[in-house]
Amino acid sequence: MNGLRLGNVYKAFGSVRAVENINLDFAEGELTALLGPSGCGKTTLLRMIAGLEEPSGGAILLGGRDITALPAHKRRFGMVFQSFALFPHLTVRENVVYSLVISGTSKAEAMDTGERLLDLVQLKGYGDRRIGELSGGQRQRVAIARALAQEPEVFLLDEPMSALDAKLREDMQVELRLLQQRLGITTIVVTHDQREAMTMADKIVVMSQGRVEQVGPPQDIYHKPENAFVADFIGKANFFDGVVEQGGVRVGDTLLELDAAARFLSGSPVQVAFRPEMPHLDAEAVPGSRLQAKVTFVRDVGPVRDIHLQTEIGPMVVEYARGETDRSFAVGQETAVTLPPDRLLAFPRTGQAAA
Amino acid sequence: MSAVSEPEGIAAPVPAAAEGNTPSRWPLAQVGLWAVILFLCLTPFILIFAISFGHKIEGASWEWAFSLANYQRVFVGANWPEEVTALYLQKLYYSLYYAVIASVLAVITAFPFTYLVTGRSRRAQSAWLVFILSSLSLSEVFIVMGWDVLLSNRSGLPMVFKATGLTDWLKQVGWFDTLRDWGLANPRNVKFKTSVSATVLTMSYLVWPYAVILLYPPLSRLDRSMVEAARTMGAGPWTVLRTVILPTVRLPLMGSVLLLFVFLLGVYVAVTVFAEPAKQTMAVSVYEAVRGNTLNAPFGAAQAMVLLVTAGIFLALGQWMSRRAAS
Amino acid sequence: MILRVLSSLFLALSAVMLSLPIVVVSAAALNSGRTMFFPPREPTLERFYEFFVSEQVWVEALTNSMIIAFGSAALAVLIAWPIAYSLWARGSRASKVLAGLGSMPFALPPIVFGVGLGFLWSFLGGLGAIWSGVASHAALFLALPIVTISIGLQSIDRSHLDAAATMGATRAVTFRTVILPQTIPYTVSGFFFALVLSFNEFIVMFFVSASSYSTVTLQIFNSLRNGYTPTMAVAAVTFIVVSVVVFSAVARWGDLPRLMGAEPTKS
Repeated sequence: MNGLRLGNVYKAFGSVRAVENINLDFAEGELTALLGPSGCGKTTLLRMIAGLEEPSGGAILLGGRDITALPAHKRRFGMVFQSFALFPHLTVRENVVYSLVISGTSKAEAMDTGERLLDLVQLKGYGDRRIGELSGGQRQRVAIARALAQEPEVFLLDEPMSALDAKLREDMQVELRLLQQRLGITTIVVTHDQREAMTMADKIVVMSQGRVEQVGPPQDIYHKPENAFVADFIGKANFFDGVVEQGGVRVGDTLLELDAAARFLSGSPVQVAFRPEMPHLDAEAVPGSRLQAKVTFVRDVGPVRDIHLQTEIGPMVVEYARGETDRSFAVGQETAVTLPPDRLLAFPRTGQAAA
Repeated sequence: MSAVSEPEGIAAPVPAAAEGNTPSRWPLAQVGLWAVILFLCLTPFILIFAISFGHKIEGASWEWAFSLANYQRVFVGANWPEEVTALYLQKLYYSLYYAVIASVLAVITAFPFTYLVTGRSRRAQSAWLVFILSSLSLSEVFIVMGWDVLLSNRSGLPMVFKATGLTDWLKQVGWFDTLRDWGLANPRNVKFKTSVSATVLTMSYLVWPYAVILLYPPLSRLDRSMVEAARTMGAGPWTVLRTVILPTVRLPLMGSVLLLFVFLLGVYVAVTVFAEPAKQTMAVSVYEAVRGNTLNAPFGAAQAMVLLVTAGIFLALGQWMSRRAAS
Repeated sequence: MILRVLSSLFLALSAVMLSLPIVVVSAAALNSGRTMFFPPREPTLERFYEFFVSEQVWVEALTNSMIIAFGSAALAVLIAWPIAYSLWARGSRASKVLAGLGSMPFALPPIVFGVGLGFLWSFLGGLGAIWSGVASHAALFLALPIVTISIGLQSIDRSHLDAAATMGATRAVTFRTVILPQTIPYTVSGFFFALVLSFNEFIVMFFVSASSYSTVTLQIFNSLRNGYTPTMAVAAVTFIVVSVVVFSAVARWGDLPRLMGAEPTKS
């Protein structure tokens, strides 16, 4: 396998472990997203992969070769930095071919490659511009071209979209993904934006406090979160504390029907979670626990409506897509919410509140 | 061999793992650098220290020794314990006296100037800085020359005073006698040269641009919106100065005074030209001892050490003050 | 409103005060006789000619001043670079001590350093040689390029260094292709500060040259004893002009306020 493998990698700063117990495989040609909140260690992990930080322990292997001790300038993984880190004293083209120039490539060949890359990122003709003249989106393209110039085996991106404005971000996510697929290059993207991860990645690695919480394709991560943290971090979820009882979960005075409760011993404390688009409001003949509810707030943002409810088990949010229902909901309206038992998730409760 | 990152690994200035090139070459360059610095910057001071214990022999020469005679002479006079002469202590006193007045004066006048300049546009600041830096580069010798001409009895300010009738007016009003008391006048006319005032003024003028340069960073980083906020709360300009600006820059102000004070301890040319012979400084007697008329190198070295230690004490004081404020 | 007028007035007054001796000296340079009269009598440019061309003693002094100024400034920058770099890259106690030692001569009264240097060179046989003059001024003004280069290094974006590493640059290559080009203005300004101050320095030069060669300032001081002549004032004018040109150049191509400690402009 020509991919990247991390075995038991950890990084300690003094007595603090920034990253711990990392065992990951990055298959060749795949785009993996390292996703998590700030401070979860994802950037530290990326920098270790790049060779900019030295792991305190563990091994990094590329196609079976141990590269743990190899310094960054010998690994030559192309990297795009959060601030793009373009050299202000060089032109666009000089930035792009930097790696070629310092490795001794002939000027003609370097220029050729430079032009090809600028073409690839749709910046044809920008070669002689100065960095200061470029917009944010253009700078990102230059950074991408520059990282790819050395034909790296691994392509690393550290929060590549954070310096762009919202509209541009979404367009670039798609563009970057298409580019990556075209080149077939093993890519790792660090991001805190779950939408970005779900848009671009073949595989998502969810991280929290230096540890890997879950690894899997985006749809698995979304529909089958393995713990409360992942459930809360990806998408939105409603959470309730309860105790397993008679094959269901008792939340307060209510016993909820729950398929997942079967996995737990009776009496275990659990957290019940479900996505807002799963419950039904005012529905007849739909299986599942039916709760009385009163509408407290309606948020209509256009394509979706969020209906905030106060129910007998507590407050919750139910989401409807436009066209999914014609019913209108007004504040103060009495209604009933049905929770499908196969859509409810249950996680062990450790005594701490969820995320 | 790879440099281990500090706890703030991500903030390490140079990529810790980028140690690809010859680490063996570095120690040699390091040693060389240390050697150069120690040689050029430290040994001169060590030499002064060592020589200060020597004593003079016939003629202009001297020899190594371990005697404290020079220091004794500086502090209590050569004829101790029969009599105590404070001649050199007096010179030290004047060194301190002139220096402290001049440095305080310079900072007090440079402060409003710098404050105003840092309030101007970036381009204006650039222009002012060019002006200040150019004037700063005017050697002490020139400044003294300039002020000497300006204050000279025959063709400078005193002449202007006489020509415009100011002298007569002063005599009439009775202020002339006060000036005589201050050493600023002869029976016939005002006299500015060789007076304490002229010395202090020239010394102050000498370090004024340095004061501006020292005050420039803290004053340019002063948040003007604080001043505006105070004004919206009813503070007049004087109150703003007293309650907002001064407390914020108190430390840089004192630090500047200290640094300039230390610098002025060593001033030579201005003192020789403008100060009366009886009120000269230790710097002058160092000069005299080492290259001037008295030619007693070890004694000069001893005085230089005294100056050095005095300067060192005040510098250390400054460091201590700033460390206290930072905590 | 009044405050604005008063402050402008104060600035103007300060400028005048600062310029006063300079104006006097410059004007006196135009005197045709041998005495420094102000205002000048029978103004002429002859003194300038004497200074730069005909009077041997001044020409020699000027040459020496230039050699020492350029030499020491270059040497100071050369020595300051590794010190500033190691301070920035490693920040270890050792590098802080090194920087402190290097700046020491500038912080203490110059007369003391001058006396010490005099002793040093007399032991080593360099007293009165031009090269020891160059070395002395380099040591004296070392603090200046250390400070300016440190400011420059601090302004470098750390991610640029990482980026270069990921593209195959060793530390040496990164230094050459990323750090050095970006700190050129700071290196140059450190050089110029040292240059100008060396040109005008007197007391250290006095002890180190031991009367075997003279620089412009030394020559003026010697002449001080014998009374001024307007030719000396020409030197003063030259110095001022040189300084103004140099610092204007720095201001034009660099960020002078930033160099002097202001925050970088938010562009």
